[in-house]
Parts: sequence; C-alpha cells; structure tokens
Amino acid sequence: MTIELDGTVAEAVSEDPLVIKNPKTHTHFHTYGGWGRFFLGLREEKILATRCTNPDCAENRLWLPPRCDCPDCWGPMEWVQAPTVGTIYTHSTVVYPGAPFRASTPCPLISVEIEGVCTKMMGYLKEGKPEIGMAIKAVFNTAKPTNTILDLAWVPA
Amino acid sequence: MIELSAGNLRIPQFSRPVYVVAGGLTDFRKRYPEKNTSQLCMEAIRMAVEENDLKVSPAEFRQRVNWGVYSQFADHFGDQLLAAAKIHDYLGFDPVGNIEVKTGGATGGSSVLAAAQAIASGYASCVPVVGWERMDEVATRVGNAYIASAACKDFESELGWMYAAYYALMAQRYQYENNVPRETLARIACKNYGYACYSPYSQNPGKYTIEDVVNNDIVSDPLAFLECCVMSVGAAVLILADEETAHQLSDNPVRLTAICGGSHTLRTADRRGMPILLLPNETEETYKDYFTHKRREWPGFSSFLAARMASYLAYNMAGINDPLEDFDLLETHDAFTISDIQTYEDIGLRPYGRGREFIESGDAYYEGRLPTNLSGGLIGTMHAVGATGIFQIVELLWQLQGKWDTFHADPERWARYGKKKPDDFRSLQVPNARRACAISHAGTGSHVTCAILEKE
Repeated sequence: MTIELDGTVAEAVSEDPLVIKNPKTHTHFHTYGGWGRFFLGLREEKILATRCTNPDCAENRLWLPPRCDCPDCWGPMEWVQAPTVGTIYTHSTVVYPGAPFRASTPCPLISVEIEGVCTKMMGYLKEGKPEIGMAIKAVFNTAKPTNTILDLAWVPA
Repeated sequence: MIELSAGNLRIPQFSRPVYVVAGGLTDFRKRYPEKNTSQLCMEAIRMAVEENDLKVSPAEFRQRVNWGVYSQFADHFGDQLLAAAKIHDYLGFDPVGNIEVKTGGATGGSSVLAAAQAIASGYASCVPVVGWERMDEVATRVGNAYIASAACKDFESELGWMYAAYYALMAQRYQYENNVPRETLARIACKNYGYACYSPYSQNPGKYTIEDVVNNDIVSDPLAFLECCVMSVGAAVLILADEETAHQLSDNPVRLTAICGGSHTLRTADRRGMPILLLPNETEETYKDYFTHKRREWPGFSSFLAARMASYLAYNMAGINDPLEDFDLLETHDAFTISDIQTYEDIGLRPYGRGREFIESGDAYYEGRLPTNLSGGLIGTMHAVGATGIFQIVELLWQLQGKWDTFHADPERWARYGKKKPDDFRSLQVPNARRACAISHAGTGSHVTCAILEKE
C-alpha cells in the first residue's frame, strides 16, 4: 500500500532538525468599504477627504486619511475635496524596504501637511530631494492605477 | 484635539497586592530551527519554576495555576492560529482557562497587565505569563513586511513595508525640532550592544564604537542598521501571584506596584495636537519656553502620548514623584535609538526636548543614576516580540532579587546555549536595587505599558 497525494510536496530543506518548505500563495479580497471613494477619487486626480457634519463637534477640519465616522462625536462625515498642495512635515528615504514594496528605491517617504486638514498624510516624493517645510503638489497615477495609496505621489511645487 | 477628562485620567487601583515570583528565558537567536515554539516555551517556564528557588516542584506548581496568559505578537510569523491552546496543553495546564493577548510590540507588557488584573481582582491567585515569537519562518525582508502589516494597511503599509521607515519619519522630525548629535544616538546603540556582551541570552552582542554606528549603512535615513533592534526567536515566562501564594512559592517575591497602559493612533499621521499631560515631576513652568516655530505642537511626531499616558497613570498609582530619583533600574523598548530618546522624555527622565541629556550625562549607564537596559535591550539582546515585555520584567526581577549573577555569570549557563562566557565578563548586578520600571511599546506608539516593581 502506498499513499499518493496530489498537489505540492513539502520539500525538506534540512533533515536534522527537519525543516520543510511551506509556500503560501493565497489571494485576499480586501474591501476598502466606505474609504473606497478616496481611492476612486485618485483616478480623477482628486484628494477626497472627509469632515464631520455635526455642527456641535469641536473638530471641523478635514480628515486625511478619510474616516466615515467622526472619532470625536461619532457623527457622520461628508466628503470634501482637499487641496492638492501641501508642505513636507517630515521625511525619510527608505533604502531597504520590506519585501512587497512596489515603488523604486531609494524612495523618499514624506508626511504631508495640507491646509485645513487635521492630520499629516503619509506619501512619497516622486521627484526632488525632500526637506521639511518644502512646498509640494500632488501627482496621480491615473494611467494604470494600483488602487492603493501608491497612486498618490508628490513633487516639488 | 484630544481633551482628557477626569474619567479618562482616573488612576487605576489593584483590589489586592500583586507579586512577581519567578522568571525564565530561553536564549534568543535570529534562527532557531533546533526547537519548535512549544519547546521554547517549555524551556522558559522550566527555568522559571525550577531555577528561581521556588519551594515547589513543577507538578506542585501546576496544581496552583488557575489562569494563564499567552503573549504572541503575530500569527503571521508563527503561522499557527490559536497557538496559545497548543502551548497551554504542552505545558500541562489544561483545563485551566487562559487568554492570548495581542497589542503589537507591547504584547508582552499588556500580557503582564492582563495577568496582574486577574490577580488583583481576585479572579486568580497564580498566573503564568508565557510569551514568545518565532520570526525565522520567513526571510528578513518578508519579516519586515509582516511587521509593517501592523501599520495601517490601507494608507501606510504600502509605503515602505518597513517599520524602521515609520520611525525614521519621526526621527527626522524629532531631529528638526531638537537637533540631537548623531553621536548621542550612537551612544545608546553602543551601550546596549555592550551590555548584551554580558548576557548569555543575547542574540546580537558587540563592542561597537560611535564611529561604527555613525558610519553604518542606512536603512531609512537617518536610521542605520546598528540603530535598529534585532528580529528574534525565543520565549520568556513570568509567574505572577497573590500575596499568600507568592510567599508560599518564594522567599523573596517582588511587588508589582503598578502596571498601566496608554494608547495613541496607529497611524502617526493622525496625531492631533493637545496640551502636554504633566507628570508628577513637571509643572506648567517646565514647558513655558518649549513651543517654538519648529516645535509647534505636542505630541506631534516627536513624542509618544501612549508612553506619557501609561507613565502618568503608573507613577500616580505607585506614588512615584521623580522617576530619575525613585527608580534604581529601567528597561525601555529600545526598538530604535531615536525612540529611546523620545521615551526618556515621555516618562519624565528629562523634560520634552532634553531627552539627550539622559544619555549624555551618563545617567543611563550602569555607573549612572538610573541604569537603563542592562539586559542589552532590543538592540543588543532580543526582540522576539511577544516575549519582549516579559523578558524586560524577568531581567528586572532578577536584579531586584539580587540574582543577576546567578542568571548571567555562571559559565555553565553560557555553555547551555553553546557559548563561552567572555573573558572580560563583568557583573551588572545593581547593588541594593529596590525599585524598577519597564516600558513595553507597540507600533509607532499605538500601545505602551509602564510597569513598576518594588522589593519589599
């Protein structure tokens, strides 16, 4: 009697201790849910933010990344087009990124201050050398969108 | 803006005293295929129960256990969901109840907090806290991506897949605001690599010069490889008990006078400004000149609100007035050199903007006022994430019990891990240490716990 199995064989890479290869190739189907509108907006070269609609809420600035619900009063938010210009709050050029990183390296990562926005959105600089306080403007990957945050980049203004 | 109310700032209380009676570790390695995770946890708990002068056998100890807490950061790494059940069984604790805790890099600290809550409430009287991480199933760059899965996957992770980069963003801003010399940051790394040389458990000991660190390859500027923590495999165990059980098990249990937690947004980007939450050793006067055109807001990217919140609660709970004076030992979560300086400020060793003085003054060294990370820390010794916050408290327990030499100086202990005790070995036992503090930290400050231990 022999046991015959279909599919991949767990290849042993060492016998003592016994270490086997365990490949993973599963696809996740990830929903952006209520935030999907932000990523769809990038295809139209828009940065879509949200703002609390509760007139009594103390936070009336824009949220970027957007939220569907206000964390301060739990009231609903409305979508608002944010400015596509900002300044660099901080930066770091990543030389050795993690495995799935899709942009080219070294890649200057930046945190962006945008007028009227209460947060400092993270992004990357497509051209130029980053400096704190530098004026920048948004550029969009509309030709072949990745449907990720990488579709929004920044260049010197 | 975050407005903190009296309800948010209520000082936690234990309904009855909580004690730490024993600790155990494995050694820590980049790759550890010789032992599976269950074996590593068994090795750590055997050290805790068999080598800490407890007055019970393992079988008798098991009879006293009435709750278990398990501490693992990432199911991704272990590739085994519900690993706690597998390990709980392997350690022979079924059918006693247990929980697994997950708060990123602070998982170890949060697990001790959960165990302390169980003891303090009267729910349990004897609780093992078992932590581990197995980070060697994947290549390092995949490991970095797994860790970056603990950033916001919608708006952050794709940008680098690398936590060092997220810390580097904070570092660059901190440096813009405070301009700490590279050499000062390098001194933190050199210190912790150096102390790791006297630990048989350490993964990455080394005698580096400041020049070595300053001239080292950059991962994400300004952070160099030598300024970043290790990725480890290993386990750590701590035994917590109520007063009666603690004294039945041990002649010198240590009191856990406080352990408290704070939090802040997972995305650094989402941190809005607020007034500085003052510690007992600070007043409004401390910060009258703090804000400038560069330092426009607090906490910004330069400070960890979660660490400030955790220490605020723990200091008030344990009656700490001045951490620099009141503590004899400190273990920080030195994942990166820069975050260590930020933490010195958050926990009140120096006011905001002056954290560098804690290292530059010599305070942070064995010979200084508050020896910090004599364990070798995350940079020199280990960061098997789920074990880390537990490891810190194990090392502090041994210090407070005067057992540091027992667990570090014996050549046989080095031989156990296939190592030779160094010829220039020195004891790092702090004489007459009475009170110690451990900071466990996650994300870019998403969760932080502050634990305070005191010898009776």
